[in-house]
Amino acid sequence: MANVGAFKNLGENDIVSTRTLLHEAIPLTGTIVSGTYNDNNIKFHTHGMFQTVYDYPYLSSSANHIFDITYGMSTKSAVYDTSVNQYKKKKNVYNQMAQILVGYDVTGSVLEFDADGNILAGGDKLRDSFIIPFSRLLVKDEIKKESFSMELGISSSVDYAGALFNDRITISDVGAKNSYFVNSPAGEYGILYATASAGQAADGTDQLLKTAGAVEIGSYNYHPVGLIYYQAGIVVLSGSVFKDVAEGGIITDASGSCNFFDANGNVSSSFDEMTDQFTIKTIGNNLRNRIYNISFNNTTELNSTIYFCRANHNEFNYSTNPTYLSNSKIIVKDDNPSADPVSYITTIGLYSPNDELMGVAKLSEPLKKTPSQEFTLRVRLDY
Amino acid sequence: MGFLDNSGDIILDAVLTDHGRKVLAKGDGSFQITKFALGDEEVDYSLYDTTNTNGSAYYDLEILQTPILEAFTDNAVSMKSKLVTYESLELLYLPVIKLNEIIDGNSTARHSSGSFIVAVDGQTENDNGSTSAQNGIGYDSTGAPVTGILFGQTTSTGGRIRIDQGLDTDALSPATNLPADMVESSYTIQLDNRLGNIRTVAGGNVSLDYIDDDSIAYYTVTSEDGIVSDNPNKDSAGVAGQVIDGPRGTILEFKIGSSLSLQTSTYLFTQLGSTSRLDSRDGTGSEVYHIDTLVRVTGVNTGYTIDIPVRFVKFKST
Repeated sequence: MANVGAFKNLGENDIVSTRTLLHEAIPLTGTIVSGTYNDNNIKFHTHGMFQTVYDYPYLSSSANHIFDITYGMSTKSAVYDTSVNQYKKKKNVYNQMAQILVGYDVTGSVLEFDADGNILAGGDKLRDSFIIPFSRLLVKDEIKKESFSMELGISSSVDYAGALFNDRITISDVGAKNSYFVNSPAGEYGILYATASAGQAADGTDQLLKTAGAVEIGSYNYHPVGLIYYQAGIVVLSGSVFKDVAEGGIITDASGSCNFFDANGNVSSSFDEMTDQFTIKTIGNNLRNRIYNISFNNTTELNSTIYFCRANHNEFNYSTNPTYLSNSKIIVKDDNPSADPVSYITTIGLYSPNDELMGVAKLSEPLKKTPSQEFTLRVRLDY
Repeated sequence: MGFLDNSGDIILDAVLTDHGRKVLAKGDGSFQITKFALGDEEVDYSLYDTTNTNGSAYYDLEILQTPILEAFTDNAVSMKSKLVTYESLELLYLPVIKLNEIIDGNSTARHSSGSFIVAVDGQTENDNGSTSAQNGIGYDSTGAPVTGILFGQTTSTGGRIRIDQGLDTDALSPATNLPADMVESSYTIQLDNRLGNIRTVAGGNVSLDYIDDDSIAYYTVTSEDGIVSDNPNKDSAGVAGQVIDGPRGTILEFKIGSSLSLQTSTYLFTQLGSTSRLDSRDGTGSEVYHIDTLVRVTGVNTGYTIDIPVRFVKFKST
């Protein structure tokens, strides 16, 4: 029996909830981070705790926040003492991030970032780390596992216009799709590995020999150099990517550690000297200028409710459109009562029990409805 | 809103309305979707060409090419004309609702300006009964009520709005019973709540259902509210004051009270309206603030909708 009137109730089987993961590719070129806008898209905060990278000069209302760069130093770092430049701020950054991302031990002490994720077993800790929190605009709900890639220039030169990017490594969360950790209070995280990418590093024989802890995949050596927290959207990058093996890093001694510039742009120091003597701002600038590109896929979790609006053959065949009638007579019947009524669907209204219009769906073209046709219109509302 | 791309597969563009989002944000579990309706507001059925000599496949060629706009999020804008279901597929006539401006002399007709005019306060109605001041616009110089003036403050007097429902065709006698599923028993009235409210003919209050995010108040009224009744004149075609020529269903009669803010302030008039002149009691005319709006009446079961033009006025100066 037809449901007489303008409304039709939705039954139990007409409403279903689903969950869909939507991914977007996020490519960030190094020139945006350093160069294109002459650093007018970099906001340096007066407190000096971090710098913010925008995709356009940040004084413009069109600018979007894309990520931040900061640096943290554990009090157990070999470099740490009270003579370290901004030692309180560097300690503060490290402990703040460690509290959130690694948590506390049973005594309430803040745990350090663990190089292999096995916190209970001890092992190497990341005590001098760059921290890169990506904005929610880019990350959305989380970074997709095994999609993260960051290419860094590791030439010892600091010649931005020339040799800086001749030798590069790629840092990625290779294998994270099937191997990640859940022992963080901030959700899931994976290990970032560095491998040869370009220049001397590209042949896999010079810059990145296999060091302790590295794994071999194909013909390349992958060195653990940091952690990526997927839901938090934060990358923790070890300073070892810029050090040679003799200094505890991953670059071959023959190539040597990277050099860094001071606040005045003078090339003056090794990594340890930089973290000891320079401000967080200058340390961040050094990393930023070595970023060749970054890319990842984000994830948006779409929770949807699907309403199956079923128009049976004997339903919705008439219209209340004022043009449908002429002196109350249905014009599409052309004076023939036996002719099939015809109507056209362009809109679907979703109503509350009190007839409040809660949702609207539009068809891209009118759908002809006659008594010989039935339709199921699938309306999805995403939350 | 732009047009939807109609060059390929049929797509559905779905949004929550602003009112839906408001209800969702309440977080009290009141957001529920339990029913649906289908609409065809872009369609112009007069383009259905049954005389096309190329055959019936060409009758609706123009209609099927109608470009469709993306969904509006304003709940008051969408679903103005709905598709309806009737048991019989052999209907040739469908019920309508019509403004009845002839039933009771001047008290149900619109003002000569084309709108129903609501005088929002006593001064605008009749100078609060004063015999010295003659600036009110509710009565003419002979003391007779002016056609189409509704008294927004003194709602027990003044004009009213009447709507009749039924099959408006002389092909069927009014003596014919309107089928039960064509008799409208319930109406929804929409009115901007900042401006006024719905009253019974006696001036009593009518309870509203809800007010949406755009301050539009929704009233669902039935015979229990005292403003919906059966049309008693079903016996012959010759009864005076009827606008439905065929079988008659129900009658909706109501008045409009003015809001307190319109009675006490000119703020909304200066924000939303303008000024104009109307004839005053002494015949010299009065300058009035005015706001034009629409009152929308929809048959809940039969789905038919009409918009009634209403102008709220407030005395400004002579």
